[in-house]
Amino acid sequence: MAMDIDNDQLEIIQEFVTESRDMIEQLEPQIIQLGQDSDPEIMNAIFRLFHSMKGSAGFLEFDHMTRVAHAAENLLDLIRNGDIILVSEHVNLLCGACDFAKEALEMIENNYTDEDMVGPADVIAEKLHQAIELAKAGGAETTAEPPAFDPTVEPDPDADAGLPQLEINEEMRQSFVTEGLELLQSAEQRLLAWGEKGEDTESIADLFRSIHSFKGNCGFFGFVDMEKLAHQMETILDRCKSGSPLNVDNPADSLLSALDLLQNAVNDIAQERPGLIPDLASSLNELQKLLPPMLGEILIAEGVREDQITAAVATQKKPMGEILIEQGAATPAQVNAALLKQQASKKTQPPPAAKPVARTATAQRQDIRVDLSKLDTLINLIGELVIAENMLIHNPDLKGLELENFNKAGQHMSKLVRELQELAMTIRMIPVSGLFRRMIRLVHDISAKSGKKVELVLLGEETEIDKTVIEIISDPLVHLLRNSLDHGLEPPEERLAAGKDEKGVLTLSARHEEGEVWVTVKDDGRGLNRERILEKALSKGLIEGDGSELSDKEIYNMIFLPGFSTAAKVTDISGRGVGMDVVKRNLEKIKGKIDVSSNPGQGSRIDLRIPLTLAIIDGMMVRVGDTTAILPTLSILEAFRPNQEQITLTPDGDELAKVRENFFPILRLYEILGKKPDSKVLADGILIVLEHQDDRFCLFVDEIVGQQQTVIKGLSDFIGNVAGVSGCTILGDGGVSLILDIGSLRESLEGKNLTKDANS
Amino acid sequence: MSSIDSAFVAIDNEDTQKDKYLTFHLAGEDYGIEIRFVIEIIGIQKITEVPDMPDFIRGVINLRGKVIPVMDVRARFGMQARDYDDRTCIIVVNIDGTEVGLVVDEVSEVADIPAKNVEPPPRTGKSTGSRYIQGMGKIGEDVKILLDVQKLLFDEEMNRLMKRANDDQEQE
Repeated sequence: MAMDIDNDQLEIIQEFVTESRDMIEQLEPQIIQLGQDSDPEIMNAIFRLFHSMKGSAGFLEFDHMTRVAHAAENLLDLIRNGDIILVSEHVNLLCGACDFAKEALEMIENNYTDEDMVGPADVIAEKLHQAIELAKAGGAETTAEPPAFDPTVEPDPDADAGLPQLEINEEMRQSFVTEGLELLQSAEQRLLAWGEKGEDTESIADLFRSIHSFKGNCGFFGFVDMEKLAHQMETILDRCKSGSPLNVDNPADSLLSALDLLQNAVNDIAQERPGLIPDLASSLNELQKLLPPMLGEILIAEGVREDQITAAVATQKKPMGEILIEQGAATPAQVNAALLKQQASKKTQPPPAAKPVARTATAQRQDIRVDLSKLDTLINLIGELVIAENMLIHNPDLKGLELENFNKAGQHMSKLVRELQELAMTIRMIPVSGLFRRMIRLVHDISAKSGKKVELVLLGEETEIDKTVIEIISDPLVHLLRNSLDHGLEPPEERLAAGKDEKGVLTLSARHEEGEVWVTVKDDGRGLNRERILEKALSKGLIEGDGSELSDKEIYNMIFLPGFSTAAKVTDISGRGVGMDVVKRNLEKIKGKIDVSSNPGQGSRIDLRIPLTLAIIDGMMVRVGDTTAILPTLSILEAFRPNQEQITLTPDGDELAKVRENFFPILRLYEILGKKPDSKVLADGILIVLEHQDDRFCLFVDEIVGQQQTVIKGLSDFIGNVAGVSGCTILGDGGVSLILDIGSLRESLEGKNLTKDANS
Repeated sequence: MSSIDSAFVAIDNEDTQKDKYLTFHLAGEDYGIEIRFVIEIIGIQKITEVPDMPDFIRGVINLRGKVIPVMDVRARFGMQARDYDDRTCIIVVNIDGTEVGLVVDEVSEVADIPAKNVEPPPRTGKSTGSRYIQGMGKIGEDVKILLDVQKLLFDEEMNRLMKRANDDQEQE
């Protein structure tokens, strides 16, 4: 059947795939919610999903999908009518059915048939049938059983192992990797929270779900190692969830290390390697050690009847502490201390009512994944639209005409275009929370390794930054945090001796300021040591003279020089002197700036100042002769018309302008552009004071034309990089104007890059 | 099935574009370039100069919101410069996604030159120009110098140019 599909049918199939996918995406979270409170409305929606999927799949002769949808529908129908009671395993099954449907849809999209899905379909349909039978036979019994004994969890690996080996294509692997990393990341956050605040059933349940679905994915793709490890983790979580005791008070750390292995393996797969976990057996053992054999299991082994134990478990509601004491795993004193801790942490936790509300709110927000290149194209198009609109409204042909209606329409259009542009800019913006959260883990690990106590405070997580920028500042942030932790914060003894709290505070914040986003890393450690930095810089020959005339700020900025490191010894965390210069380089890539400030003994603070967007800058247009160029407004400090007394000529022929008490070198723009200016006399033109990384200099131009929003366009790849120019923009009249690169202009002052040939 | 449709269109285009050359005048001679590289022909317009470029890269122009570099073919071949006039044209070509404008004296026509009428390039190897010649096309008594656009844009000389720009970048 797959072979003779005509165009009409193809369209129908594609529509079916898209529609079904949307529905599943929408309903999947609700299915999970169903497990917590069964809202008849949601139940109906889910029922409709499977029903219409069954109908469409049946019409298109996708038999396996039809079968699964039908079975799911049956189950839902029974639940809906109250014939059987919904238990968590049903939720798992329905999610499984959704997963199956997604895979089947993928296959249909590629091959227009679901014939290869026969194996998984059998498994899922069979499970659904079993669940129905089981529920019908003795619904009450099933529900009494705690979800911890969920039978569907156990047979999973075996069932999946029996499936025909699926061919994994590139797309599937990619989606596995993305999804897998997301799942692991959310699991990681919860684990970290767990490690700090103690357990919270809800987050354990979430954690369990993340690991469980990850395991499912691994099983489907046949990544046996990962599946085994995830399974073991799941078992532990399962115990925690059902309140069974473990051999340790808090398994979070062990689980974290297992999680790391999984993450490594997923990254492995991302690079098209098999995703094996080295030393799997020992990792499994590590985890197994956390699990004491359950009391019930021992008793069964000793001949006690199983149903009696189940009953005993059901009635067993003893607090965990007591059980621990009974088993001798903890002393009463330990338990009491732990209880106190637990209570203390509960007080600081937000009221539990807040959580469900937040959850429904997120459920309503619908996100779609869009290819980034598509988004870029859209944003480029809008940028071009802005230019086109400018060209239209300010068209020279219209000059001097009385066009009342045209102007009205034009204004309307301008407004719409502005709105569109602003919206387009926000599309690329994502909150920094994801980036910040990743740092939690980093700080956790480093503080554990170095024995320093740290509290990481995250502020302004909701601040949004361009996605590309987030990627670019991710590495710098890691370096900065490492540095603060390793060099800035003191060990506990030293802190106590200095009269500070034993626990250091590391603040990571983001906020909007001056049309930029400021990301700040602040610690309350010992601060930067001027003498030591200076000493180091001198010994490495990074500065001339004895450095005594340098300001604190200049000295602090030396930590960003390549090859600089003040740590007395190199630790495995930081101190190799790579890193800080990477921070600077990455920031320069996005036209950002770094500010360092420090108070000896009170800590240091590093501000990353990042432009809001990479696509548009505030520009100042300047003119030289008949050519215009754009300067980024952010780099401009001031502009003035010099008089002759302000200019000093050095014996080398360099010109210096005196601005108040400072002397700045002068760079003539017409020399750089090779243009003929109105006048070469400085007093006839304008000097613009520019700043680049604390270096200041003056640029001589004929006049300042005005300020404008500038859509940045790259010069063609064909031309490549041009010294002194960072890009170009299209003006209202359709002409092209170069955007000057302040950094390389500054360098050209030193005669590095540009040939100063005024007459060419 | 749309991909197949477009594939057909492409094949179709390839077919109709075969052996067709856009011919133009340059310093009294007739030249031709394969039509499949040509996107459009525009009149000369305001060119924004870019500093630090070889003289044959005249600068950049705005082609409906796209910024494309412009190469003066006369200057490229080391011929004598000539003021642009209203017959001067920019031929916009696209090679593997890179769009470049070529400034020529005057565009003449699209000519059909079957492969059998194309002679191999002369092996003088002296002038800068001959390295970029793909062949000599004959139409009756007329001879058109067929240029290899690929080489014109991407030969070692251009590579050197780009490399130098990149070296500058590394120094920063």
